[in-house]
Amino acid sequence: MTDELKLIAAAKAGSADAFADLVRGYRERLLRFLLTRSPSYADAEDVLQDTLINAFRYLHSYDSRWRFSTWLYRIAIRNAAKLRSPDLADVAIVGDLRDEENDPLQQCIVDSESDNLWLSAREVLNDEVYAAMWLRYAEDMSVKDIAKALDRSTSWAKVNLMRGRRVLETHMNDAADKSEAYG
Amino acid sequence: MDKLAKQLRADAERIDVSVSDELDRRIDASLRAVTPEAEARRPAPIARPPLFWWASTITGIAAAIAVIAIVNLRAPERQDIPPVDLVATVPPIDLKAETAMLTAPLQEELDRLQSDLKKAEEKVKKDIGL
Repeated sequence: MTDELKLIAAAKAGSADAFADLVRGYRERLLRFLLTRSPSYADAEDVLQDTLINAFRYLHSYDSRWRFSTWLYRIAIRNAAKLRSPDLADVAIVGDLRDEENDPLQQCIVDSESDNLWLSAREVLNDEVYAAMWLRYAEDMSVKDIAKALDRSTSWAKVNLMRGRRVLETHMNDAADKSEAYG
Repeated sequence: MDKLAKQLRADAERIDVSVSDELDRRIDASLRAVTPEAEARRPAPIARPPLFWWASTITGIAAAIAVIAIVNLRAPERQDIPPVDLVATVPPIDLKAETAMLTAPLQEELDRLQSDLKKAEEKVKKDIGL
């Protein structure tokens, strides 16, 4: 039995310490992901907290055939979606809620003078495709796990990863052309 | 790994986040306040002895026999029907007359042929001197 499985077993038995140890390595990764989907840093922190609480509360429903990280991301994505209150049902993407000047993602980017593709991706991709791209390229998750995390079919994940790539490649090429044109 | 994938990986790593001590304490406190929900355990299936199988089989057979018996007992009794004399009931048809009518020309032809044959026979006998 791996350390992770041992911690899961202990946490299922009710040990908060075991659960805290279990998720310690995932917290910053989740926070980074949530930051790309939240209007503020504080919101991202709140969603992280809710995600971990929900994960601990419903740990009995975790199926060990899944990767634990996939299950955590699934909860995180659902919780992040709740940021859209019913009053803001017409708002298409979380990005619309952001204050451009106080964009938490922008503020957290090291070496912010050069273009960060995730900032561009947020502008040109919808939420789900963005999440799929993040899970694939930032988290190195398999297509099957991405589909599970997003509660979509594997073929949906494949198609949308391909579309996301195409859109970003076009964006990269356009940006390169512009920088060449302006010298 | 292609150029885009490398760029995306590198750019994700450039997003600098850390869980603050305050958030760490908040998370820790919330986790301690939470009681994990117990797994809803299904009742263990009851192991049935082999006798149960035999009992159910015998019950089934007995029920089938009872149904057959009830259906047969409730069926109306058969009344003895006297045999019908078909010959008496069917009106006589004058087949003979009809046959005679149909075969009369043939019979006449046969008679003529037999007469011709007889005449021919007598003529042959006379010729050879018998």
